Amino acid sequence: MKKKIIASLLVGSIAALSASEFSAQADKDRKAMQEYFEKKFADRKTASTYFPYTPKEELDKNFKWGIKGDEFRLGSYAFNKSGREQYEEIVEMPPYEDAIDEGKEIYENSKAIKKCFPDPAIAGEYPKFIKDKGVVTLTGAINNCLKSNGEKTWNSKKGKMAKLEAYFAAASKEKGKKIHIVIDSKEAQEAYNRGKKEYYSQRGYLKLSCASCHVQGAGQRVRNEYMSPLFGQVTHFPVYRLKWEGLGTLERRLEGCNKDQGENPHKPESKWMNELAYFMAYMSNGMPVDGPDVRK
Amino acid sequence: MKKIILTLAAVSVSFATASLLEEAAKLDVKKVCDVKANGLEKVIATAEKFNPEAIKLGVEFKRLGVKNREYIKYTKEAIKAKKKETVIKYKSKGKEKTKKFATDYAAWRACTFAIRGLQQKVEAEKTWRLAVPGDGFKY
Repeated sequence: MKKKIIASLLVGSIAALSASEFSAQADKDRKAMQEYFEKKFADRKTASTYFPYTPKEELDKNFKWGIKGDEFRLGSYAFNKSGREQYEEIVEMPPYEDAIDEGKEIYENSKAIKKCFPDPAIAGEYPKFIKDKGVVTLTGAINNCLKSNGEKTWNSKKGKMAKLEAYFAAASKEKGKKIHIVIDSKEAQEAYNRGKKEYYSQRGYLKLSCASCHVQGAGQRVRNEYMSPLFGQVTHFPVYRLKWEGLGTLERRLEGCNKDQGENPHKPESKWMNELAYFMAYMSNGMPVDGPDVRK
Repeated sequence: MKKIILTLAAVSVSFATASLLEEAAKLDVKKVCDVKANGLEKVIATAEKFNPEAIKLGVEFKRLGVKNREYIKYTKEAIKAKKKETVIKYKSKGKEKTKKFATDYAAWRACTFAIRGLQQKVEAEKTWRLAVPGDGFKY
């Protein structure tokens, strides 16, 4: 009996060790990312190093400094004072509230969805790496569920999909769930690495990488909008964007970003986009699920 | 036997991809896409040679709603019809739209877009880590 317990404990600890080995580099990346953003938004005194083109007056008056950890889930509203004021006014009567109710109704009325997702508080667990399927986002998992139950799949970017995801996100937020992305195999690690490489690769006729705007460029202004940091970015999806006049999934936003780079955008639920989302989500690991939310 | 054939096919496809990428990486875009020096037909033929590879690798350019494959298609039609203006028809948010360009300009754009997409793919292999905090990005 004793032997059996020791053997199973050994097997368990070896499995845990090798799982952490697969995520070790990703953990280092996440830590380095957090350190970079915390330094970047630490102090007005060092701001000119990170924001050489931002007018001094703007740095003095419109920036909040000393931002740490989970505060970054607010995107640019974490540091942009005037934007934050407008945001807080909007969320007094959030435009996504009806969508959460509609999402709940969709959930309650769909046997298939209920069967696939008995606990709706799972927004922080996706994207997941599934053997033989690769990276599956929440959108992909919902469509896979519909398909396997003989139902028509939904638009990956808006409509029913975004509403159901809004309900899942709200349920996760209510239960205090956090982003919990797992890399527990060599294949998952490779998928993460591919997503990471694509995130940092310059592309399109504008030759921009995702990082040009959301790592190095985060906090800088394009016309009248501050660009949000990668760190914390996936926590608040789906989002109600004022530009869209509606709710959209992470896939919808990623497709838009990819188009803005000057490239024929990759399709939602494609391997490329799923792996990109996997990397992005890992960068927010441990942060609270904060969706749905509002952005401009 | 099937396995061998499939492996051989996969190897030859990856060789073709590598050689087109290498070829594109060595090109001087300003020279090979110069309409005055090379003529419209040659420039659009260069675009046609490299753009399918850009599509395959997921790096095809798109500007103001127009994909590079559409630039190529309509520029070829304009060259064939000896028209100085290229009318590009494309779809944006489900609506049919058109854009007009001088044909030599459209050919130049199609050619540079096709080659630069591939060149950037090659360049990114060497540069992407320079932007990673905790790796090549120093601040």
